[in-house]
Parts: sequence; structure tokens; C-alpha cells
Amino acid sequence: MSAHDHHLDGHLPHEPEKATLEGRNKILGFWLFLGAETVLFGTLFAAFIALRHQTLDGPTPDHLFELPMVFAATMILLVSSLASVFAVQALHQHKVKAMIVWLIITILLGLSFLGLEIYEFNTYVSEGHKLTTSAFSSSFYTLVGFHGAHVAFGVLWIGLLIAQIFKKGLTVVTAPKIYVSAIYWHFIDVVWVFIFTVVYLMGKVG
Amino acid sequence: MANDHSAAASEPKRRHRHEGPQKHVVAFVLSLVLTIIAFAAVSAGEINTTFTYIILVSMALLQVFVQLAFWMHLKDRGHLFATMGIIFGIIVVFTMVIMALYWVWW
Amino acid sequence: MAAHAHTVKRYRGLMDWLTTVDHKKIGILYLIAGGLFFLVGGLEAVLIRIQLIKPMNDFVGADTFNQLITMHGTTMIFLAAMPMLFALMNAVIPLQIGARDVAFPFLNSLGFWTFFAGGVLLNISWFAGDIPDAGWTSYVPLAGPMYAGGHGVDYYLMGLQIAGIGTLLGGINFMATIINMRAPGMSFMRMPMFTWTIFITSALIVFAFPVLTVGLVALTFDRLFQANFFETGNGGNAVLWEHIFWVFGHPEVYILILPAFGVISEVVSTFSRKRLFGYSSMVFATVLIAFLGFMVWAHHMFTTGLGPVANGLFSIATMLIAVPTGVKIFNWLFTLWGGSISFTSASLFAIGFIPTFVMGGVTGVMLAVAPADFQYHDTYFVVAHFHYVIVGGLIFGIFSGLHYWWPKMFGRVLNEKLGKATFWTFFIGFHMTFFIQHFLGLIGMPRRVWTYLPGQGFDTMNAVSTVGAFLMGIGTIIFVVNVIVSAANKKPVADDPWEDGRSLEWSIPSPPPEYNFKQLPLVRSYDAWWNEKQKGNTEMPPAEPVGPIHMPSPSILPLIMSIGLFAAALGFMYDHLIIAIAGLVVTFGSMFCRSVFDDHGFHIEPEEQEKGVHA
Repeated sequence: MSAHDHHLDGHLPHEPEKATLEGRNKILGFWLFLGAETVLFGTLFAAFIALRHQTLDGPTPDHLFELPMVFAATMILLVSSLASVFAVQALHQHKVKAMIVWLIITILLGLSFLGLEIYEFNTYVSEGHKLTTSAFSSSFYTLVGFHGAHVAFGVLWIGLLIAQIFKKGLTVVTAPKIYVSAIYWHFIDVVWVFIFTVVYLMGKVG
Repeated sequence: MANDHSAAASEPKRRHRHEGPQKHVVAFVLSLVLTIIAFAAVSAGEINTTFTYIILVSMALLQVFVQLAFWMHLKDRGHLFATMGIIFGIIVVFTMVIMALYWVWW
Repeated sequence: MAAHAHTVKRYRGLMDWLTTVDHKKIGILYLIAGGLFFLVGGLEAVLIRIQLIKPMNDFVGADTFNQLITMHGTTMIFLAAMPMLFALMNAVIPLQIGARDVAFPFLNSLGFWTFFAGGVLLNISWFAGDIPDAGWTSYVPLAGPMYAGGHGVDYYLMGLQIAGIGTLLGGINFMATIINMRAPGMSFMRMPMFTWTIFITSALIVFAFPVLTVGLVALTFDRLFQANFFETGNGGNAVLWEHIFWVFGHPEVYILILPAFGVISEVVSTFSRKRLFGYSSMVFATVLIAFLGFMVWAHHMFTTGLGPVANGLFSIATMLIAVPTGVKIFNWLFTLWGGSISFTSASLFAIGFIPTFVMGGVTGVMLAVAPADFQYHDTYFVVAHFHYVIVGGLIFGIFSGLHYWWPKMFGRVLNEKLGKATFWTFFIGFHMTFFIQHFLGLIGMPRRVWTYLPGQGFDTMNAVSTVGAFLMGIGTIIFVVNVIVSAANKKPVADDPWEDGRSLEWSIPSPPPEYNFKQLPLVRSYDAWWNEKQKGNTEMPPAEPVGPIHMPSPSILPLIMSIGLFAAALGFMYDHLIIAIAGLVVTFGSMFCRSVFDDHGFHIEPEEQEKGVHA
């Protein structure tokens, strides 16, 4: 919070996201938040694992899940994660235009992931797999839905940041925001790795 | 001051100042391969269930490690507390998964 | 103060308190809110004890009794104890580590207002006539839609969910603050013990509260959207709730007690005029307790029938915690040993804490023996045990800390005579209320039952217990009187009113200016301020030249965001989706504003600092 942190006039440092104490605080605080998110998703996973066989009269995972669609969703999210890595790299090289392009690609991929998920949920509901069907369905929708809500929030957030970059440019104030949102996006991808493993693939295996 | 200088001088090497995209592409390909192995193991359908589970879990853990280390920069300098936070989170999650597997139904 | 400073709008009066991002003011807000809820929870406790004063009493009905015990537990844990800890954290931590503020001043304020919104939401259930009555643990199926119709448990779920957001934000904030904002020279092993315990407590908050969040979400879905997490008829599992609740709940009790350990360490060391004995072992013990605290949750569930392996494991893990705790107890005793002890109110509470907490710990080890626990489970023995650790541990710690840091927080010393009266009435009342409950439990009186038949040997002991509860009430009233008396006393307070202050907060004025340190101090040892005094210095060596100090601007957004959440929760509960959505729009809209409009803050120039501006 000391005074000289603020007046970085003229050129931007190499890693602008870590140039100010505020920026460093933001990154550290965000990592701690991700630690909390790890536990949040972990608890949802635990609930799902405990209830995964409780399908009652509803459809079973084996019957429900379509691997090609899950694989497509996985690829979309993986590529979007790569796009956001490139966005951060462009940020470090102060290539604002390239950064914005990569961020837009990230968002578009995120949107298509969401579209796929909505389509998927819609299909399931029409097959009689609703939130209220069984304990399995409740825990499934809560876990995957929480992840989907995180994707949706990420899309809105990164969209807002792109608008801010257009308005304010890349500065020591906006750079940490971009960096942190990229970390968030990777985290969503990491959670998805466990979702496709634990929910879909293991569900198929039985 | 002397200390500051030496620190600044050694910085570029340690920070990969002008890192190219190669490293990230490698991480991407790795993740891709690990994902495909996992999906293939399930699609094949011939392998025994326990063995498939082991493959799936190890592929997932490897992929998460790759992404945390490279894409999320956890292996970089100054990420001590970030790493500790994630590790402790994982420990808590691990105990909860044990709980879910063994102590909810019996 | 300097209302004309630069271009940023400075508020006065009420608006100042609603918009403040200053950690010292937020600490006072936490204290006021937490203190208020403490009085409410205390009143509920007294009503419970009046009902139990004699057999077959009809002072309150069975339903009201259930509501009283539920609200008493929930209020005391989440709305009284934790906020009062946050009050001490906010008031002291930045000062102890030599920082001008916390890492995220805006989040700090948001944390307070969300906690407050959650607390108010929980307590308006009294006026809505739909009061939570499934116990503070809200076990299903009792708390499920089948057996708890109406909106009572919904108030519990929504209130805790919102308050939980605030607590989580606070935890992240203080972790980041302690990691990133320490003054030059203050290494981790030079941090005061209170700072260490808050660091570890914050970590526990960060990793335990998300578990509660998920549990509350699952139960909310069950109740509002007919999900089946805990609906046995549809494949759900009631034991899963117990697991989730206690995976959160057990770390929660360490979240409560560790800060008290920190306060006691500071107070014992200061008033014995000695360095804390075994500082590094204290740090290690704190970390170990926190880690083990995550691995023992199932000792609350021995009687659910987890089987001998699980019960054995959790039994042993629980007993292990006694080891680092014992290390702490002995370290305090050795700190006192040979010290020139002054018996101020703060020090009395700390010294009273030690034997009391040991007793609570010993009954804890008794309860950890799984076969024996089958006998104690759900009796007054358990009630006695956890009141010994929470009241005899945490509340004594908070009273000690309040008497100790009051001059730093408010610039007034609390009256010592009244302070000692508080201690003796509260201390005697406490032991009178709860010591006897051990025996009530052992002869078989079940907890959470609204009355009992005469002639079972319960009568006298219950009457004694109730008289003790009144004494505790009187002790609390004396404390409130003390606060009012000291507020009327206009005598200014020295920077170091105890004259034996050891850590950095005593090197600056009481109360500190809003920027805390004109120049950030250079820390040269553990007990930095004490050591400078020993060297004959009258102030800390500065680590930077005098210059303009950057401050964050006040903001009304945290309050608006919390009101949004409050409205959204009510909307969801009563099926008014429009209100729910409007509330969320307000909250997210405020987040949007916060992201889009940069906070440039303002500077306090050296000339203004010379005027001795006070917050």
C-alpha cells in the first residue's frame, strides 16, 4: 500500500500483473480462493461418489452418457485452456491485440461448451433423468451444474475484462485481472478433467 | 544494493523471460494424449474394471499435474503459498473421497 | 478528520461507518454486531436454563425449547464467537505485522456486511414465526422437508450460507495479508503468536467453509427443489449429511479455539514480563492441531455405527490432538513460571483460561474413547464438555483479548475494578453452570430434551446450573456497564498503556491514525517493540522515509451487495422469483461496478500526517 507502487509511468514492466503490491495480493488471494474452490468441488465429488449407484428407477449412467459428446466437450475446454495460456503469453509480451484475440477465442470455446452442456442436460431430462429423479441424478446435476455455472461466470467475466482492455488499455491495474481470470479458466478445465474421469468414464465402466 | 543487482541479473534465466509457446504446446499435447488414453481405455471395454479405474485415475492425476505446473505456473518462482494451498485442498478432498467410498454406506 | 482531503469523498457520521474500508473501524463493527448477537444468544441460553430449573416446568413449550437450543447454538458459534474473533483479528493483525491495512480492504468490508446480512436473516425468523428447530447441526431427516415443514430450517440454511461467504472472504483476506503485507524484517518466525494463530485459523476457514457451503446447498436443494441428497426413500443418505457437516464442523471448533490460544499467549507473555516460552514449539503445535483437526471429524459420529476400524482410527487421531495442546498448556505455565505477573483483568481471564481449558480437554479425551462415547453420547456430559472448551476456552480468550486490546481499539482503558468483577462473576458462574452438568450427563440426563421428571436425581443439579447461568449473565452485564463507563471517561491513553507491550501495535498511538504507521517499522527481532525498548529506543526504527501514504477510498457497494443477497435469499425461500432475481442482479451489478470503475484511492500528504490525524 505504499506510495511508490503506483506511479509506474511510461513503459510497462515485463510481468505487469506482478508489478504492484495490489497485483501480487490479487494473485495470491486468488490462489487461496482456488484452494477453497478445490475443497468445494471435492465435497461435491464426494457427495456424487457416495450416491453414484443410487439410480433407483431412473436411467443408469451407462445408459445415459454418450462418450463422443463428452469427448467433444473435453476437447473444447482443453483447447480453450490453451487459448487462455496464449493470451497470458501475449500479455507478457505486451501484444494487446493478440491477447484480445486469444481471449475472444477462449470465450467462444467456453460458449460452445456451455451450448453442448445445455443440449446434453436437455436430452437427459427428456429421457427421464431430472434433478428429482434419484439421489444419483441430484448429485450429478449439482456437480456438473456447479461446473457449468463456473464456466458461465468465467465467460461473462472474461468478456467484461476484454471490454475493460479496450477502454483502459493494458496497465498494471488491468493486467492482474487478466492473469487471474486465466488461472480461473485453467482451474475450470482441471475440474473438468475429474468430471469426465469420475462422472462419465467411470460411470460407463460401472 | 549489491544484493538487488545480483538478484536482477539472475532473474531472466530463472523466469524464462522470453519463453516461447513450445512449452505450452507440449503441455497441450501431453494433456491430449492422456485424455485419449483415458477415453480409449473405456471405449475398448475389454479390460477388467479395477484396472480401468487405475488407468483413469492415473491419467487424470497426471493431466492435472501437467496443467497446474505449466499452464497455471505453479512450478514458477513465488508460488510457494499457492502450491501449499492447492496441496492442502487436495489432502482435504482426498479424505472426503475416502469418506464417500467407505464410510457412508456399510 | 480531513474531510477536504483531495478529490475523494470522505464521509462523516453514519455514512462513514457504512462505507468504511478501514480495518480498525471494521473491527469495531464486527465487535458491535458480534456483541449484539452474543447478548441475543445469551438471552436464549438463560431462557433454556429457566425452563430446566425444575422438573416438569412449563415456562416454554417443547417447540419453543427446540427453537431456543437451535438458535442459541447457531447464533453463538456463527454470529457471536466468530465475529468477535474477526473483531480482534481486524483490530490487531495489521498492527502486529506492521502493515497499513489488510490486503483487500474492500473485501474486508464486504465480509463484514455479508456476515451481518446473514445474521440478521437468521434472526428475523423470530419475527417471521418460522424458526429453525432442528438443532445447530440440522441433522436430516429431522431438518429435511418431511419433518421440518415451513421455512424455519430455510432461514438456517440461507442465513449461514450468506454469513459463510463473509467468513470465507475474511479467511482469504487475512491469509493474504499475513503472507504479503508483513513489515520489512518480520519473518514468519518473528511473527507474534496471535498473528500465527490467526494465520492458521484463516487457513482452516479457507479449507473448511466450502464444505459447509456444499452441505447447505445440498440441503437447500432437497428442501426447495425436491432433490434427493438426503432423502432415504429416493436413494439419498442421511449419514452423508453428518459427514459433510462434521468435516466442516470439526475444523470449525479449531477455527474458534486457535485464536483464543493466540490471545492467551500474548496476554500471558505480556503480563508475566517474559518472552513466550517455547515460541517455535507453539508455532509447530498450532500447525499440528490444525492439520489433525481435519482428520477427526467422525468422532462426532461414533454411534452412527461406522464400524470398529473407522471408530478406532478416529479415536486415536482425536487423542493425538491432546499432545500438541498439552505442549501449549505447559508453555503457558512455563511462561508464567518465575515471571513478575500482574493480575489485571486481561491476565485474570488468561490465567482462568488455563485450568478451565485443561478440564475441557480432558473430557474431550474421555469422549474420544469410542466405547465410552456410546455412554456419553447425547447426554449433558457432552454439553458440559463443549461449553468448557468453547466458553471456558474461546469466550475467556475473547474477554481477555478485549480487556487487553481495548485501549488500542478505542483509546480508553476499561475500568479494572469492573473488569475484575466481570471476571469473578463470569468465572464462578461458568463453573457453577457447567461443572455440574458433567455429573448430570453421567447419571443419564439427555441433552436437547425440554423437561424431565422429578425424582431422578436431576433436580438440585439443574437448579444449581441455572443459578450459575444467571451469574454469567450478570458478569456480561457488568462488562457492558464497564464499556459504557469507559466511554464516558475522556482520559487519553498512552501508546503503550500496559507499559509491557511486546509487539508492534504498542509502538503507535491509541487509537492509531487511519494509516497506522507513518513510516513502516523495521523489525529486528521477535517481540520487536519490547527489544527496542530494552535498547532504550522510544520508537521503532523506520524502514522507509516519510512520504505521502496511499489509502483506498470508502465504498457503499459492500453494503448494497449484502442487501442484494439478503433479498435474494428471502425471494428464494418464499418462492418470489422476481425478488430473488432482483436481489442477485443488485449483487452482481455491484460486482460489475467494482470491476469497471477503478478505485484510485487517495494520498495523505506528510503535512497532514503531522497534524496527528485520527481515524
